This record gives sequence, C-alpha cells and structure tokens, in this order.
Amino acid sequence: MEDFLRFEGITKTYGSTVAVDNVSFSIQRGEIFSLLGPSGCGKTTLLRLLAGFEAPDSGRIILDGEDITDLSPNHRKVNTVFQNYALFPHMTVRENIAYGLRVAKRPRAEIHAEVDRMLSLIQMESHAQKKPSQISGGQKQRTAIARALIMRPRVLLLDEPLAALDLKLRQRMSLELSLIHDEVGITFMYVTHDQGEAMSLSDRIAVMNNGIIEQIGTPAEIYEAPKSSFVAAFIGDTNFFDGSISEVIDSEYCRISVTDLPARLLCFNDKKLNRGDLVHLSIRPEKFQISLDPPQVGPKHNVLEATVEDIIYQGDHTRYWVDIGNDWRISLTRQHTRFMLDERPIKWKDRVYISWLADDGFMLERYSEADEELLQAPPQSVGETEVEEDSELSAASEGGTQS
Amino acid sequence: MIKKSKIPGILTWLVLLFFYLPILLLVVNSFNASRTGGNWGGFTLKWYAQLFTAREIWNALINSLLVAFFATLISTLLGTTAAIALHRYKGKLQNMHYCLVYVPLVVPEILLGISLLLFFVALQVELGLPTMIMAHVTFCVSYVAMAVLARLQDFDQALLEASRDLGANTWYTTRKVLLPIIFPGIVAGGLLAFTLSIDDFVISFFVAGPGSTTLPIQIYSMIRRGSMPLINALSSILLAVTFLIILVIQWISKNQEKKEKT
Amino acid sequence: MNLRRRQLLKEWGLTSPSLLWLCFFFLLPTLIIFAISFKPSDPLGGVGDGWTLQTILALRNPNYPEIIGRTLWMSALTTVITLVLSVPIAYHIARSKPWKRDLMLLLTVVPFWTSFLIRIFAWKAVLHPDGLLKKALVFCQLISPESLLLYRPGTVLMVMIYTELPFAILPLYAAVEKFDFGLIDAAMDLGAGKLRAYLSIFIPGIRNGLLSACLMVLIPCIGSYVIPDVVGGIDSMMIGNVIAQRTFVDRNLPHASALAAVMTIVMFLPLLYFLKGKKQEDGTATPAREVV
Repeated sequence: MEDFLRFEGITKTYGSTVAVDNVSFSIQRGEIFSLLGPSGCGKTTLLRLLAGFEAPDSGRIILDGEDITDLSPNHRKVNTVFQNYALFPHMTVRENIAYGLRVAKRPRAEIHAEVDRMLSLIQMESHAQKKPSQISGGQKQRTAIARALIMRPRVLLLDEPLAALDLKLRQRMSLELSLIHDEVGITFMYVTHDQGEAMSLSDRIAVMNNGIIEQIGTPAEIYEAPKSSFVAAFIGDTNFFDGSISEVIDSEYCRISVTDLPARLLCFNDKKLNRGDLVHLSIRPEKFQISLDPPQVGPKHNVLEATVEDIIYQGDHTRYWVDIGNDWRISLTRQHTRFMLDERPIKWKDRVYISWLADDGFMLERYSEADEELLQAPPQSVGETEVEEDSELSAASEGGTQS
Repeated sequence: MIKKSKIPGILTWLVLLFFYLPILLLVVNSFNASRTGGNWGGFTLKWYAQLFTAREIWNALINSLLVAFFATLISTLLGTTAAIALHRYKGKLQNMHYCLVYVPLVVPEILLGISLLLFFVALQVELGLPTMIMAHVTFCVSYVAMAVLARLQDFDQALLEASRDLGANTWYTTRKVLLPIIFPGIVAGGLLAFTLSIDDFVISFFVAGPGSTTLPIQIYSMIRRGSMPLINALSSILLAVTFLIILVIQWISKNQEKKEKT
Repeated sequence: MNLRRRQLLKEWGLTSPSLLWLCFFFLLPTLIIFAISFKPSDPLGGVGDGWTLQTILALRNPNYPEIIGRTLWMSALTTVITLVLSVPIAYHIARSKPWKRDLMLLLTVVPFWTSFLIRIFAWKAVLHPDGLLKKALVFCQLISPESLLLYRPGTVLMVMIYTELPFAILPLYAAVEKFDFGLIDAAMDLGAGKLRAYLSIFIPGIRNGLLSACLMVLIPCIGSYVIPDVVGGIDSMMIGNVIAQRTFVDRNLPHASALAAVMTIVMFLPLLYFLKGKKQEDGTATPAREVV
C-alpha cells in the first residue's frame, strides 16, 4: 500500500535542545497510529509539526501525495483534539462543533444537518445548548472530538486526549474512541505517554525517546520483541541480562555466559550471533515459572536456583523479587490461575527454582544502562545499607519524573 | 502577647469609618441651609437649585464628558492591542513596551502634567480640548492595558490554535474567539479609563486652555473661591452617580459569576 | 523565513500603536523636561531661545533644600504610617468570612472610584474653622478656639494618609491572601512564639506586597500637589506646589521644568530599585494602582 502520511527527515530544535532529531516514518490510511514516549521525548512536537503550529528546521511532511510542510494550520486537512480540549468557553456545544463549518462559510442548513449527525454520533443531542463549563470531562472530550471530526480531516490528531480524565472514564473513553474510529474510518494519530492507552487503542505504535523513534510496530511486536532496552523497560516491565555468547549450539540456539554469574543460559539466537559476541537479553517477568520443588521441564528450559527477596500480592497475580546469586535480582510475576490458599505458600527467604523457555529471552539491538531506571524497583527492605537506599531512591525519583 | 487579637478587626472598621465620615458629613451638609457646616440651619434644597442654574458647571460637565468619551475610546483601543501584544510575544521589543506601559502608572500626575504642558508649548500646539484628550489617553492606556492583561492571564492559548486548526485565519480567530473571551477585561479597562478621565484634575489643570475647563477644574476653582455649599451639592450628586455606577458594576459581575458557575 | 517575517510584521502591527503613542506623549515629554531645564525663560511666559545654565543655577534658591527635605520627610512618614496601618487591615480582611471580606474590600475600593478632589474637599469642610470637628473639639475643651486645624503640616499628613490608604491595603491584601498560614503553624510547632512567627515568617512572606504598596504610596506622595495646596499652608509647601507656582503664578516654565527634572530623578531611584527587585521576584507584584 502507498504511504498515506510520510514524515521525511524531520528535525526541530528549540534553542539548543533538539526536540525531534531527523525522524522519518509513515502512517497508512485508516490506521490508529500512536506516538508513545515519556514527556519531552518529542511526540507532541511531531504532532504540532503535523498540525502546522510549528515549522520544522528541516525535512518534509507529505500527506496523501501533497507536500504540506509550508501550509499554515488553517489550510491543512488535519484537525486536532487538544489535550485540555480547548473548547471555546463562550460558545455552546453546538456552536463549538459548528465552528469549522461556519469558518468555511457552508450553507446554514448543511451545517445544521452535519452538527446533528455529529451530536448523535457522540450521543450529546440533549446537551447541544450547554456551555463547556456545564458539561462533564467525558462530554467535553466527545465535543472536542466531534468538533474536529466534522471537518472530515484526512488525519485526526489526538494530543493526550484522555490525560485529563479519571481512570474509569479513561477506560470507557478509550473504548469509545476506537468505536468512533471504526465508524468514521479516518486515520488517527494519537499522542500519549500512557502505554496502556497506546496498547489497547493502536494498530501500530512508534515508541519515542530523546527525539528519535526507538521502534515502530504493532502493540504485540513492541511488547514481545523490543528492539532496545528503552522499549523493553518503558513498555511493561522486564529483566536485563548482559553477557557474551559462549557456545553456538545449532542454527537456532546458543548459550550465553552472563557477566558475574556462573550460569550458562540457553537462548534463541535470532540475531545469528557468533561465539564471543556481546549480548543483552530482556526477559519479561511473566515468562518465568517459580516453584519450591525442582520443576519438570523440557530441554529448552533454563532452570536456576534462587532466594526469595520480596513478595507483593496483587490479587490476580503476585510479584516476586528473587536473588539468583551475587545480588542479581530478578523480578517475576505469577498469575493466580488456581485458588491460591490451598497451596503451600512461597515465603520470604525460601529457596526456590525459577525456569523459563529459551525462546522467551529476547536479544536487544541497542542497550543503555540508563534505561534500567525505568524498571519497577523492589520495595525497600529494612536494614539495607544507606548507599543502596540512596541509589534506589534516586532511581525511583528519576523514573517518576520521566513518565 | 498576641492572643487571637481583636486589634486588626477594630482597626479595620475604624479606618473604614475614617474613609466615609468626611464624605457623609459633606452629603449631610449639602442639605444644610446654614452656610457653614458647623451648625444646622434647617433642611434645604436651595444649593441644588442654584447648581442647576450655574451655566459654567453645565459647560464644564459637557467638556468632561467629551474628553472622557474620546479618551476612553482611544485608550481602550490602544490598551487592548498593547495587552494582546504583551501577552502574545516575548523578547526585547516587548520588554521595552512593557516598561513604557508600566512606568506611567507609577509616575506622579504632576510630572505627567508639566511634561505634557512643556511638550505642547515646545511644539507650539494651542492648548484646548484636543490636547486634553491626548493627555488623558496617555495615562489611561496603561490602566486599560493592565486590566486586559489581567484577563489574558487566564486565557488558554490553545483556543487560538484550535481555531486556526479548524480553518480560521487570524482575523476571524481574533473576532470570534479572542475578543469575546477578553471582552469583560476590555469593558473593565474602558470603565476604569472613563472614571479616571472624568476624575482627573492635576494633569487636566496643566494642559487646560481657555474654554476647556472640565468639571474637576471647575470644582477646584470653586474651592479656591470658597463657595462651599454649592460644592457640597455638586459633590453629593457626583458621589451618588459614582455609587450608582459601582452598584451596577457589582450587580453585573455577580450575575456574570453566577452564569459562569452554573 | 517568510513565516518568521510575517510573525514580526504582526508583532509590530499590534505593538506599534501603543508603543508609538507612549513614546510620543510620554517618553519624549519626559526627555523634554530635561532639555527645557537648560533654556532661558521669556517674559511672555513661554520658553526663550538659546541655551543657558541660569535656570539650573536658580535652583540654588535657599528655600529649596528645605522644601525638598520636607517633601521627602512627609512622603516617608506617610508611607510608614500608611503601611503600619495597612498590614493589620489587610490581614483582617484576608482572614474574614467571604461575605465580610467582599464587603470590606468593596468599601476599600469605592474611594478609588470617587473623585480625589471631592474627598479632599470633604476634609476641608470638616476641618474648617467653622466646621463640625473644630466645634466639637472646642466644646470638649480639647483645643482653644483660636487654634487652627487646617493649613498645618499635620493636616497635610493626615489627608495624605487618608487618600493613600486604599492604595496600600489592596496590594497587601493580595499578598496576604496568597500567604500560606500553615507556615505560621509550622513555625509555632517548631517552637517560635506567635510574635516571632509573624515577624520571621509572615512579614517576609508578604514582602512583595509590602514592596509594591510602599512604591505605590511613596511615589504619588513625592508628587503631591493638590493636598498641600488645598488643606496646607505656607509651612507645608512641597515640590509639587513650587512647580505649580512657577507654572501658573510666575509663568516661568524653564524653572518649573528644572524642578520637575529634580523630582524625576528623586522619584526614579526608588522606582529602579523596585523594578530590579520585581524582575528578580519574577514579576508577581501587583501592577500599580490597578483596581479591576
């Protein structure tokens, strides 16, 4: 399929900070495409560049074969749903929705009919005469969407549209958004820092960090096959291992000797690495099994002995932090698919076995130590040395400011 | 030492009393038949009657209204554009602009008055109502700009982007989005300019020419000449008008608040 | 590039009306004050030709140091008394119940809207030798029938405080309202006495309000003209009166101009100090004499 919307080598700087650094990607017609990343990663800048509120330092934006880089916002066939809705406070819901068509000087009867159609799409017929200050957050949200959709944009831009809503409403609106998308079939470009929103809504996601795109793919690709440590750590939680290939077993598998650990881990060698190559592995917490007795597993499993360091019970699952030796912590989760209370419970300081399938370890293309700060830190245990406490705290707080 | 002190409360009400006592006495005295305020000579309306036959007071009133009308009109226009520019743009030009708008607010009136007088003399402009209007615009612009700027502080810039995004050009956006929202600030600024202009004495006194006597200048010369009861009556009427205007403004803003709340 | 040029054009379009007006009618006239100080007077009451130092030298008039000193002293005294009265009032208003607070604020604001001249004239009537206050005080035998209430420095001081009080109360109120009184509790929790807590926490906390109130009272006081003129006598003349006298009585404009130049310099010192402080504090101080 022909690229519907294409960003070509876009760079944008503010003073000395590079907000977007030579970014190129394309979006297909009709898909929901999300830009996901922490605040300051450049996702909002990309959206503003597409809307026309900013001009790029270099690069082009091509929409449906037309170069729109130099068009002013009022001449672009894209419309935006703003973060805090930006509804005109002195106009009613109806007037807000009709605004764009009035600007375009469309005939009165046509405007009326179009607005009615929109009001019924967002189920706001009974609130048409209210002012924005008189309706709820969710209703404002829907009004903002209708106001943009009535223009029949080629692309609808959504800038953190759910950020101002509470959790319950956010979940409902996210469902409504995808229903609206199915109904109108317009291409959505969705900007968010919330991985849950991006995962549940999007056809494809571009994960951004520091002005570049780390990875583009479907939600499953991004989660299951992260290319970089940032993607692995920012989306969901993970464990990192670093080491080198100690043995190439066959065309599919290899053994990795992990730095500072005696263990040799069996791993799927999808990057076709050779003996001696350095490698970084990411293994998601839910890929591990944990048991008090040695597990009955096949030849493609890794099994390690470990000591339980922390346990957090979370209803549908429990999160464990275990020490596999040399203070090497692994975070893992276990789903409670069976009734828990009948089992012999795993307790603090128990010796346990953890096991995982060789195919569940994933080799990263790029690794940065800074990304470890994004990982879920174990809770602080009493009696740990002050130095450790400090580093934990700073890691936690930095992670907090990033998201 | 201070134990839930009652002093601030008592002080506050004493000072408020201090604010209004002289004004109250003035109003009472305007109905006093005796020439001096010291003793009560019986109730009368004769001072008011005299007032209505005094031609020069009516002329002064007309001059005041004329000056105030034009000064308000021009200063509201200039002040509004100034506020929008100050709010929208940053940089060296706006820093200088802000200084020029701000400083007239703190410069003593007498300095504005004498400098404008010297300016007009140096340019050999004949003093009269036009020079008076220019002087009034000069000190009113800053007040209007501040009132509009206060309203703009709460204005969400994204609204302008939203309007542009929906296809409107700058002019349409200004007319349909920006101006309606900051309109209360413009009205407040205009009202302020009008009151300041009507009330101004010092600056007007310096730049007044023959035939451009305004009401405050008239009152001043009456104070000098010492026709006390007449000024009492005139002041009472002006005070009544002022209070009425304040009441109306209060009523409007209360209604506005209610509207915005529901 | 084209976009940036258009932006610049728009900025100038919005800025130039007020900028040019104020340059022409405010900046230029202020500069002219200094220029005309070096001009001779002409007998017709205008400004003569050529340049001279005579006007500046005439400022050596032996009466002037006294008058300038009095102006500064009266202004400083007015400012101090006004602020001392205003802080507890602002405190009281800010900590009252909403309806009471609104009422008191309204009562403080109303004098803003009523004519300045009328309020001063009202005092003249009260203090008049045949006025009510004089009669009452004589009746109570507090003063002798010969003593004067009007035309004295004390009278000028009182009326100046009377007119300036609202200008101090409002910015202070704005500052007190923003003050977090939890800090006082915290200070007392840490062992400070109530007085100490207020002096070391509250007063620094409303520093910006104090600063702008101070400026808002001090500068108009230095420029006082009407109050000493209407309720003051010979021994309460201030610079403003002399400027008016030179302008309207002697019709010696260059002389008035030189005096105005002196006043401008005197006034700009506290103003510059304030603006500097304001910039550092990120401009939270209330704009001058703003009512709405």
